[in-house]
Amino acid sequence: MNSVAAALLVWTLTSPSSSGHGRGDAWPTHMACSSGGLEVLYQSCDPLQDFGLSIDQCSKHIPPNLNIRFGLILREDIRELFLDIALISRGSSILNYSYPICENDLPKFSFCGRRKGEQIYYAGPVNNPGLDVPQGEYQVLLELYNENHATVACANATVISS
Amino acid sequence: MAPDISCVFLVALFSASCEAIASSDQMCIEKETNKTYNCENLGLSEIPGTLPNSTECLEFSFNFLPTIQNTTFSRLVNLTFLDLTRCQIYWIHEDTFQSQHQLDTLVLTANPLIFMAETALNGPKSLKHLFFIQTGMSSLDFIPMHNLKNLESLHLGSNHISSIKLPKDFPMEKLKVLDFQNNAIHYLSKEDMESLQQATNLSLNLKGNGITGIEVGAFKSTVFQSLDFGGTLDLQVIFKGLQNSTVRSLWLGTFEDINDEDISSSVFEGLCEMSVESLYLQKHHFFDISSNTFHCFTSLRELDLTATHLKELPSGIVGLTNLKRLVLSANKFANLCQINASNFPSLTHLYLKGNMRRLDLGTGCLENLENLHLLDLSHDDIQTSDCCNLQLKNLSHLQSLNLSYNEPLGLKSEAFQECPQLELLDLAFTQLRVDTAQSPFQNLHLLKVLNLSHCLLDASNQHLLDGLPVLQYLNFGGNHFPDGNIQKTNPLQTLENLETLILSFCDLSSIDQQAFISLKIMNHVDLSHNRLTSNSIEALSHLKGIYLNLASNSIGIIPSGLLPILSQQRTINLRGNPLDCSCSNIYFLEWYKENMQKLEDTEDTLCANPPLLRGVRLSDVTLSCGITAVGIFFLIVFLSLFTVALIFAVKYFLRWKYQHI
Repeated sequence: MNSVAAALLVWTLTSPSSSGHGRGDAWPTHMACSSGGLEVLYQSCDPLQDFGLSIDQCSKHIPPNLNIRFGLILREDIRELFLDIALISRGSSILNYSYPICENDLPKFSFCGRRKGEQIYYAGPVNNPGLDVPQGEYQVLLELYNENHATVACANATVISS
Repeated sequence: MAPDISCVFLVALFSASCEAIASSDQMCIEKETNKTYNCENLGLSEIPGTLPNSTECLEFSFNFLPTIQNTTFSRLVNLTFLDLTRCQIYWIHEDTFQSQHQLDTLVLTANPLIFMAETALNGPKSLKHLFFIQTGMSSLDFIPMHNLKNLESLHLGSNHISSIKLPKDFPMEKLKVLDFQNNAIHYLSKEDMESLQQATNLSLNLKGNGITGIEVGAFKSTVFQSLDFGGTLDLQVIFKGLQNSTVRSLWLGTFEDINDEDISSSVFEGLCEMSVESLYLQKHHFFDISSNTFHCFTSLRELDLTATHLKELPSGIVGLTNLKRLVLSANKFANLCQINASNFPSLTHLYLKGNMRRLDLGTGCLENLENLHLLDLSHDDIQTSDCCNLQLKNLSHLQSLNLSYNEPLGLKSEAFQECPQLELLDLAFTQLRVDTAQSPFQNLHLLKVLNLSHCLLDASNQHLLDGLPVLQYLNFGGNHFPDGNIQKTNPLQTLENLETLILSFCDLSSIDQQAFISLKIMNHVDLSHNRLTSNSIEALSHLKGIYLNLASNSIGIIPSGLLPILSQQRTINLRGNPLDCSCSNIYFLEWYKENMQKLEDTEDTLCANPPLLRGVRLSDVTLSCGITAVGIFFLIVFLSLFTVALIFAVKYFLRWKYQHI
């Protein structure tokens, strides 16, 4: 036995076991829309599943009340559903925002109250305010979660305005 | 040889001091020993052999069970709850649940069922809740009926069902909930409703079905606990169809993704012909509200007009004088007086939260609401320099007031004099401006619960909390104490009946030993997210059996003298502290292991020091601060070898030296 082997033995005994949950590949990057000088790419950051999203009327001048199409499998009940948005540009945070989509006393959308396991397809408005996107590249982290803070969907999006 | 021996010696010492338990993944999570297990998302194709036979609650969703049959669950005879959501089940064969006599709830949501055998559900003696949501069902005949006598709820949402007519002989003596949301039911006939006749006090959910017609008289003399027609475009059809029915709760709201037309007042004429206790109309547009719009609402006790785009309600409204609860949240009032409160003299509960524009409370706008018990004015951007006696004039019976999440409010002494009966006051996340030596809560003799979290209050005002003789719960989180220190004299000392005290996020670095001395009956103290060291624990020495949250502080070493104070408490949380796992903290580490049953969040209670043990759970650390037996053995061997070598060396040296003389 030499000292290297001894050090190795000490290391294996003392270091905390690293959990082997690393899933091989990340989900593919999809394009939610690309037109009018605006490109929106996204990748699911929920390790359990991917989801589908497409945005109508893509443009640098985002009109109010956009229509989207959205499809996923619910991993949780969504009696209550919240959206967190974190907007990052050039590595610094510009905006953090949290918005209730479904609440017990105000289910805003018809899909509120659907159950774990259900497959959801939503095609309709999202009630956003209109805004102009200045030229540049933005990172957007979108998270949908329920009242127990269990992830319903998670997206790492890149918005490129040119 | 010498370096090798010293390595072995080192290894022997270290291996005795640290043990880390490897976690095995892809296993069901035990949520309650021998009773409740979660096996979700594991891709299992059978019940794992590791699950004990005594399992009562099994969450088995997102696995792979194409066929389930009498052998699938036969071992788990004590199951009461079984969740098989999205397990790709195609077939449910004969006697699948034969041995599950206790089964109470069965969830089959989102399985592409092809066929269920006639005896598939036989076995359970009292099956109460069945979930067949999104199973591709188009007819209710699909469900075998033999063993449904005790059924209380049946969930059939998101299928292709076009008629609510239940099969003949469907047992419904105990049925309370029948949920058909998001199906293809467009018409309700007399025959359909007659099939439900035996059920009493039923809750029927038809949300998202687009009902376009109801046969005249279909609901005649029916009594429902609740009816949900959410998202229905034509309310006229509903009101006409419900003639002569009694409905405790009628949900007629709509949604953002549904294009509805403006409702004219005439729609509500139908309400005169029926009896409703609670009516929900959220998200509709009313284009001609007048004082006569609500004249058929006389039987209502509760009216919910959330997000109905209201800017004001007319005065002299007829028909709402008996109303007890009114919800006007998420509308567009500019001034509280615009709700014309004199329309609702019997009101006991008023909710006006999340107003879409800044709400001006005005003066005495609610003074006619003498019976008001609860008032919710949260998230309304309310801002005023002198609150709240003018604004809440004459609300002498108010027991619960919510002003949380507003803009800055100025409070003077006796700010709530108009509501002396207050038992609960929530001001969280509303900045409060209180001048020095003022006591805004003075004379709230009945106040039990006070939430002042993140009000940016300055606790240097010794009289801040004066005049609260029976206060039991105080959330003072997110406020500031002078120099991050709670001194012996502090505003909390007057609260002798306090049971729960929350002081998280107060940027505290120390607490005086005597700071809580007059708070003798506290049983829940939250000091998390501060910068406290173990010295502050002394302030709790007079308390016994409390829940103590010290998570996310700066506690490194806890001296042995403080351990008796921790020992006398019920539950302690030390998660997120830079805890020391070296021999200088050995007394605490030993205490920790002996008192695991008192500790909360032990999974996240980790060592920060020494570097070798950083991130290891305290519960996994075994420290030997004397030398272990193995260590002693090697030490003796090492020392004897060293001595022998030394003797030889001396001998050789002497021999060599004397040889040359």
